[in-house]
Amino acid sequence: MTYALENIWKRYGLTTLALKNINLTIPDEEFLVIYGPAGAGKSSALNILAGIAKPTSGDVLRNGQSIIFVPPEKRNAAMAFENYALYSHLSVFENLAFPLRARHMPDKEVAERVTAMAEMMGIAHVTDRRPGFLSGGQRQRVALARAIIRPADIYLLDEPIGHLDAKLRHRMRAELKALAEDRKSTVVFTTTSSREALALGDRVAVFNAGKLEQVGTPAEIYHRPANTFVATFVGDPPMSLLDVVPQQNGDSVHLTLPGGRSIGEAPASVLGGVIEALQVGFRSREISLVDAGSPQSVSGMVATTEQLGYSVIEVDGIAGQRVSIPTPTDGSLKAGETVGLKFDGSASHVFVNQRAVFHAGGAF
Amino acid sequence: MASIKAENLTKTYGLFPAVRSIEFDIADGEFVAILGPSGCGKSSTMRMIAGLETISGGTILFDGRPVNEIRARDRNVAMSFESYALYSTITVRKNIAFPLDCAGMPRLEIERRVSEIAEKMELTELLDAMPSALSSGQSQRVGLARALVRNPSVFLLDEPISHLDTRQRYRMRRFIKSLHQEYAYTMIYVTHDQEEAMALADRVIVMSDGAIQQIGTPYEIYTKPKNLFVAGFVGEPPMNFLPYEYDHAGETIVIEGQVLGLPEALRADAAMIGPEGLAAVRPGFVSIGVGSSVTLDATVFITEALQDHNLVYADIGDTRVCVETAPEMTPRRGEAVKLAIDPDHLLLFPRDQLASDTEL
Repeated sequence: MTYALENIWKRYGLTTLALKNINLTIPDEEFLVIYGPAGAGKSSALNILAGIAKPTSGDVLRNGQSIIFVPPEKRNAAMAFENYALYSHLSVFENLAFPLRARHMPDKEVAERVTAMAEMMGIAHVTDRRPGFLSGGQRQRVALARAIIRPADIYLLDEPIGHLDAKLRHRMRAELKALAEDRKSTVVFTTTSSREALALGDRVAVFNAGKLEQVGTPAEIYHRPANTFVATFVGDPPMSLLDVVPQQNGDSVHLTLPGGRSIGEAPASVLGGVIEALQVGFRSREISLVDAGSPQSVSGMVATTEQLGYSVIEVDGIAGQRVSIPTPTDGSLKAGETVGLKFDGSASHVFVNQRAVFHAGGAF
Repeated sequence: MASIKAENLTKTYGLFPAVRSIEFDIADGEFVAILGPSGCGKSSTMRMIAGLETISGGTILFDGRPVNEIRARDRNVAMSFESYALYSTITVRKNIAFPLDCAGMPRLEIERRVSEIAEKMELTELLDAMPSALSSGQSQRVGLARALVRNPSVFLLDEPISHLDTRQRYRMRRFIKSLHQEYAYTMIYVTHDQEEAMALADRVIVMSDGAIQQIGTPYEIYTKPKNLFVAGFVGEPPMNFLPYEYDHAGETIVIEGQVLGLPEALRADAAMIGPEGLAAVRPGFVSIGVGSSVTLDATVFITEALQDHNLVYADIGDTRVCVETAPEMTPRRGEAVKLAIDPDHLLLFPRDQLASDTEL
């Protein structure tokens, strides 16, 4: 089934706009991840697809037909809620069996399915307990299992693995992706984790403050972000952005740091109009660390270093002009020290007034 | 500033031992993380340092002097909690000034200190705002500013950024690190998030079940975990564990029916562990299809394209292994691959260390 949100607005009360004109198509069998910060409108979009919430205006389509007046129980959507919403008086087994029994499945088949699902979710040893006697991580897996145990036209999963520890999160991520592939399911999954979004999505829709900033494959939103929000919200570490000034050179423009060093290039034609902010962005792999003073390098001062994490380097001694790179594990980088940075100009991303106008390097 | 030492530190609630005779030494100006899952005793430990919890046994020393009998407010310890607990009816300025007001500091001095810390914390423009108008990241910074305005000798942070989104967490991490670099507070950071602990701290104390499992630099803990708990709890993606049988005669181990030669350095470990054990290796030290003395046949389960690298999950018999690869490497589901394990980063553990509820 193909779903579409058309011109969706959602207002709560008089002043809170949760969704601002969302247009989003979810093709049949797609695993779509909605990724954004808290308050971006992710849950509102899911609830509208499920029919639990009505949009203030706009339409919801299934295979081209409006389903805006179809009640939630007739939409054949399976949902896992962020707050779990388990039946507290039923055992884990009965919680999982519920959606199957509601479809009049024979007992024997119910037992088989529940056992297999519990096994896959790593909750087989707690199936006789009630939800009140489970840890938060176990409850979250029960909620997810109950949603995906039955066939449905669309699975709507609201941050379903956010509360699991790293070990379980990775295990669940792989299982979920494989299951969706096997079943050829249409899935919409929300998250606040960049890694989860990139790992799971066939496409990722980046939401911010009720708006759809960009929708695309993980490679597109990572390598060709539409604006500085997406550039700095996707990826780990986020893309580093540096303020630059343009230096015209025939048909192309050199993008130079205030110190005069060119760190990128763009066709002159892309820099039209009034430029209030001109920035060039680099992924951490597009920046390499070299000895201070190396030819073609820019000097930087190490602002902070994390041992197993990222280091932040201030470029050209200018406060606020900083790049993030993974810290080398040999312990060679120390805060306060001067280093050289080399920027891969063939991979730069150019932003005018926060909008991407040019991505060097067509391949991604 | 102060150094902190714990000797035989114990906390019991009724009959339940929350902290069981732990010992550690934190140097003046050091940044230490206490890392562990919920219920491991890390918060009880921190609350005893702060003086918010009585000490059931043992001693806490600040600069060599026992502080067991010293009240919380006389220890000069600042604390920042997960819930920022701002006073909602007064402005940001008054929230930050609150501890100084209570201490009866002169008004001009208060104003000077508040504007100084506000500037450092990028809060100057928000001083006259009410807490309800702040984002969660801003509220967090106000909470930190209020804790720091007293110039504490020890700064305790309890899960200060765990509920923020990826980008805000990343910013706060940078911010906390720069605070420590600038002021050299003795900082203790309590968290269940191994990534934060490993990124921020000079040294990490790993706790579980009320006991210390390991103390070391992040790199030591990452590369040389002392036991199965530490190995499994630290690192994302998590450590791979492969059950093996040991063949003493041939100096080999057998994983899912496949024979592996043991590197020289591990033979003594293997002999000590005995006929059965768990081989452990991080996803970054396994590669696909590269020649090595240590290779295993596996079938690809799923590939995750994280763009700057990929994660390939592959099954060796019933054992699933996660492999970190270059972004160009995208094997398909069901594809047969050879996994090469870097012998320098292979670790062996006894199986009996496996806690009953640990899910591998």
